[in-house]
Amino acid sequence: MKKSMKKIEIGTAVSTAPGRVDGMLQVGCLPDGSPMEIPVIIVRGAEDGPVVWMHGCVHGNEYCGAFSIHSLVRELELQRGMVVALPVLNITGFQRQQRMSPFDGYNGGDLNRCFPGKPGGTLTEQMAFHIYQPLRQYATHFIDVHTAFTADTRWALYAPPSGDKAKVANGMARAFGFENTLPTPLDTLGGSALIEAAKEGIPGLIIEAGGIGSAFSPETVADCAERFRNVLRHLDMLPGETTEHGGLTLFSNFAWVNATRGGLFRPAVTCGSRIAKGDLVGRYYDVFGDLVEEAKSPFSGVVLAIGGGPVMPNGEILVHVGLDPQPAR
Amino acid sequence: MDTIEIGTAVSKGPGVAKGRLKIGELPDGQPILIPVVVVRGASEGPTLWMHGCVHGNEYCGTFVLHELIRSLSPQTLKGTVIALPILNMTAFQKNQRMSPFEGYNGGDLNRCFPGSATGTLTQQMAHAIYDQLRKHADYLIDMHTALTDDVRWALFANIPGEIGRKGEGIARAFGYRSTLPAPPDILAGSSMMTAAKDGIPSFIIEAGGKGPAFSDETVRDTAERLRNVMRHLSMLDGKVTDYGKQWHFSNFAWVHSTQGGMFQRQVRCGDRVEKGAVIGNYFDLHGHPAGDAHAPHPGIVLAIHPGPVMSTGETLIHIGLDPQEV
Repeated sequence: MKKSMKKIEIGTAVSTAPGRVDGMLQVGCLPDGSPMEIPVIIVRGAEDGPVVWMHGCVHGNEYCGAFSIHSLVRELELQRGMVVALPVLNITGFQRQQRMSPFDGYNGGDLNRCFPGKPGGTLTEQMAFHIYQPLRQYATHFIDVHTAFTADTRWALYAPPSGDKAKVANGMARAFGFENTLPTPLDTLGGSALIEAAKEGIPGLIIEAGGIGSAFSPETVADCAERFRNVLRHLDMLPGETTEHGGLTLFSNFAWVNATRGGLFRPAVTCGSRIAKGDLVGRYYDVFGDLVEEAKSPFSGVVLAIGGGPVMPNGEILVHVGLDPQPAR
Repeated sequence: MDTIEIGTAVSKGPGVAKGRLKIGELPDGQPILIPVVVVRGASEGPTLWMHGCVHGNEYCGTFVLHELIRSLSPQTLKGTVIALPILNMTAFQKNQRMSPFEGYNGGDLNRCFPGSATGTLTQQMAHAIYDQLRKHADYLIDMHTALTDDVRWALFANIPGEIGRKGEGIARAFGYRSTLPAPPDILAGSSMMTAAKDGIPSFIIEAGGKGPAFSDETVRDTAERLRNVMRHLSMLDGKVTDYGKQWHFSNFAWVHSTQGGMFQRQVRCGDRVEKGAVIGNYFDLHGHPAGDAHAPHPGIVLAIHPGPVMSTGETLIHIGLDPQEV
């Protein structure tokens, strides 16, 4: 006889039994009055257990995450617990191949700075609210999938960085196993789903895998999906041995370096490279092809992301550096 | 030597002259200026006109022209290279194909040549550029990209007679395996076809993909192939490299998508496809397979949509038809 399970309802996705259900969650309303809806997938095991909430495309053009979540849930049979997957949060940014919603006319269009959201706020704040309510209600563990700029991006963050829940988050990070990982200080990334959830006692990860738009490979998608399965094995939601990916390199924090000039730009480093303060990270050229400046790193550390160019105005992210890399015990 | 004057780039003798050509005006009254580099050799020879970023987000061509210009020396050059590495400057700024200031149909600069002095923004841009091109160029090379970083094909204006033969000579020296002798009735309004009909042998290179989708290796390889074209035209000394056999096509087929969704391609540029072959897969927002895309023609893949998302009407695949080894 089929066991009756607690009803889980997120938009039109309603789960009362083991297996998969799909539905849509309304997160806003478009100028023509039609609903702005995002896909929800619930995959449930036969026994109760952890609820892993996963979402992607918080930034609309970070498609690699949506593809890796899809790859995971396509053939997922859990022995216990539940995966709640929202592969495309910022659907209007997704449609237009841009980071933020084309319908948000105000500052604050970065959805990952708007959590927990506001029911009477801007478009993006209202979106964040509609997403965060069920997240807070159901999630015991959280995974947010992002990309940086270039296809070689591979790093992760976890939160909280200290306390009991930090052990859980660290365990998830080890099971995911990207070497370069930041235990994220709670005073950074305010308004991100990761930090807001961590402050409420929900441990989580951000995965940064692949680059913007089409800058990612099917291999990266398959690799991330397998690493997600390893996190689920670690949480005893899937059967099998947890793969040991090796020791992590942990940072004290990161530094985002914005470009202070514009021009044609070619990066000179790849993600994962160790750099020292003053090292070359890329070259600016003018419209005639003449070298006009060598961009140097103001920090020592590990390259987490590099501006891919080939053109940039001032203010774009030039390089993202992981600070004080230390091998984890 | 005659004075060559293109905007503020003024060349009166051997050397490198740089300047800017005004091709329009912005809403605040500022000029739209594009860079011009004239490299003039110490010895007489032909004038090779090269331009890039006709489509603003096809940056690979700009980097190739820059790489080439940096490698040239007036002492060893015979003739003149005129390079305009960025034609569609306002689109270049915004990382898009067409100018953000063009409010009308016809924003594709490569369909607007020879242009119109009193037309839309893009037609006036085309006019300002083409006026100079027609005046100075003996040969034209136009740098483009398609969608993905593995794009490598070329086309020359196959006008019957000498213009087509000279175009083929350039295509052979450039040496991409996939090459279209372009029939005169296609690509109307392109600088290639317009110039060829005005008696200027013309060639388009499609190398690399949109935006950042190209590698430094492609930039270096393409610049070296351009130097090989210049050796073929006796503008540079040295033996012309033989890049081997080519596939010449009878024409190409541009296939637009009739389905939107998330998309994963299954073929690479240069692959041979049969009619009906699966070229990619669509998925819905929940990740369920939503059907396959099929090749409607047999031939060689010239360009394929990179995904990861697509709306109807985008270029799904571009196929070179009836490949014949020559």
